[in-house]
Amino acid sequence: MKVVVCVKQTPSTTATFSVSDNVVSWEDTGSGKPNVVNPWDEFCVEEGIRMKENHGASAVVALTAGPEGAVDVLRTSLAMGCTEAFHVADDAIADMDANNNAKVLAAAVNQIGDAQVIICGKQAIDGDSGVTPVLLARELGMTPLTYVSAIKSVDGGSITVERLTEAGQQEVTASLPVVVSVVREINEPRYPSFMGIRKANKAKIPTTNLADLGVEASGSSNVNWGTIYAPAAREGEVEMLSGDVGDQVKALVDRLFEEKVI
Amino acid sequence: MSGVFVYIENAGGEMASISSEALGVARGVAADLGSSVTAVVIGSGVDGVASAAFDLGADNVIAVDDASLEHYTASAYGPTVTQIVGDGGADVLVAGASTEGRDISAWVSADTGAGLMADAIGVKVDDGRVVATRTVYAGKLLADVSVPEGLQIVTTRNRAFPPAESTGGSGAASSASAVEAAGDAQVVGISQKESGVSLTDASKIVSGGRGVGGPEGFEPVQALADSIGAAMGASRAAVDAGWIPYDHQVGQTGKTVSPDLYIACGISGAIQHQAGMRTSKVIVAINKDSDAPIFGLASYGIVGDLFEVLPALESEFKSRM
Repeated sequence: MKVVVCVKQTPSTTATFSVSDNVVSWEDTGSGKPNVVNPWDEFCVEEGIRMKENHGASAVVALTAGPEGAVDVLRTSLAMGCTEAFHVADDAIADMDANNNAKVLAAAVNQIGDAQVIICGKQAIDGDSGVTPVLLARELGMTPLTYVSAIKSVDGGSITVERLTEAGQQEVTASLPVVVSVVREINEPRYPSFMGIRKANKAKIPTTNLADLGVEASGSSNVNWGTIYAPAAREGEVEMLSGDVGDQVKALVDRLFEEKVI
Repeated sequence: MSGVFVYIENAGGEMASISSEALGVARGVAADLGSSVTAVVIGSGVDGVASAAFDLGADNVIAVDDASLEHYTASAYGPTVTQIVGDGGADVLVAGASTEGRDISAWVSADTGAGLMADAIGVKVDDGRVVATRTVYAGKLLADVSVPEGLQIVTTRNRAFPPAESTGGSGAASSASAVEAAGDAQVVGISQKESGVSLTDASKIVSGGRGVGGPEGFEPVQALADSIGAAMGASRAAVDAGWIPYDHQVGQTGKTVSPDLYIACGISGAIQHQAGMRTSKVIVAINKDSDAPIFGLASYGIVGDLFEVLPALESEFKSRM
């Protein structure tokens, strides 16, 4: 059984952004690392590795689609314990909508071949759309199992998972192949080992591009990103409540009743 | 039929609150387009939800009521919604951006090629097309997006829009049959969440951060929350320290919330935390450090020891409610 984990490179959670001519750029002066593994994908990489450790997966392939620099997230995935990596490197990917992005991932999964379980994070912190796992599943003709908080069993060509929804938990069984998206409750991601990092840095990672995958790059967004802009600051200055604690809480409760939020 | 379709979630025989918000958005879009709202309701025993949709202003309701659809799976519901939206010639499909709504919107988008505007916090109509405002990079930026051609799919962020108001409308739902499921996913077990206020649905939230000092520091936070019927949230620092479970975490890698009232206790207001709560209507910050970034976002601030302020605030609320 081969497992593919989809990993995206995103801006770090502490990055600061600017927009010029509708083009977004970012930096992270604090950490010096403006780009990171999408935090939600750390759980998907970990779960992929556990598929090998606990459910007999023969290979765990880390897949990313993004610019050349996105190879970093594959090295991190290898250092954690993925057995292989695959990079679709193309600058055109950045301008694609989720639907076309999923087409790229699907073509790559097909090229990798024979994958029975595809694992994604529940969403990426840049767009926060959370729709790619289902789009990918439809492209591949696989069953989507989203918001998975536990993989209970994988045997006899089927998988049983626990899904976390607003209402509670749902246990679902489906035949393989499936696309699973995972939530943070599923595991505690490991840190890469020193040996793992050394091996990952030396690994030769297969790279392809959109043309070689046979995916059209032009006209590949059904969504028009009209304008991107910084949100307006919240209206009004903060009103600091003064006096002793009794005065402060009384004044606060007065304000909250006036605002009709109590 | 054409017009604006809205996917309504069935939450145990009642309309999910996020679907009422989506229905309100659908009504607004339909009014601007001069067209009608068709609600799509799927499940087993959905009469109540169908009636609620009429009452909240749907012009038409299409109900798929089938014992085999008692439990939601994307594989069973997705093909049916796709079929209904296609048969109806929908111009717009609105759904709530819940776990289910995200699944369904993505399914329809994949199968029809329609553009998807996910997680809208604002929706308007411009030149006959929907323009959705959505956050990107955890709300550090906003984007106005649109779908130039064909079916437009938009999902609405929880609590970003008011629930639809009752029109007193009623009607008979037209029934449609379920389309064969794509694949064999079967729900084999269900466990309902314990009752209590869900963080993302809450109209009031009291959150604690590093400043509470330890697990026992959440006791006054919980007591304050209980006194006003609020849900309890937490910052990542408090969750990472193991003081409170992850499902309370508000922020970029936790829950995004948008209550009427957010009281931040001992939370400095890191940018990742702000990402999860900055759209709250009224924000109160209680912190001993007057330079904490949370005060830059707050409507009201109290500088003080939260172990004095919180109990005092709790008793003030209790004496006046």
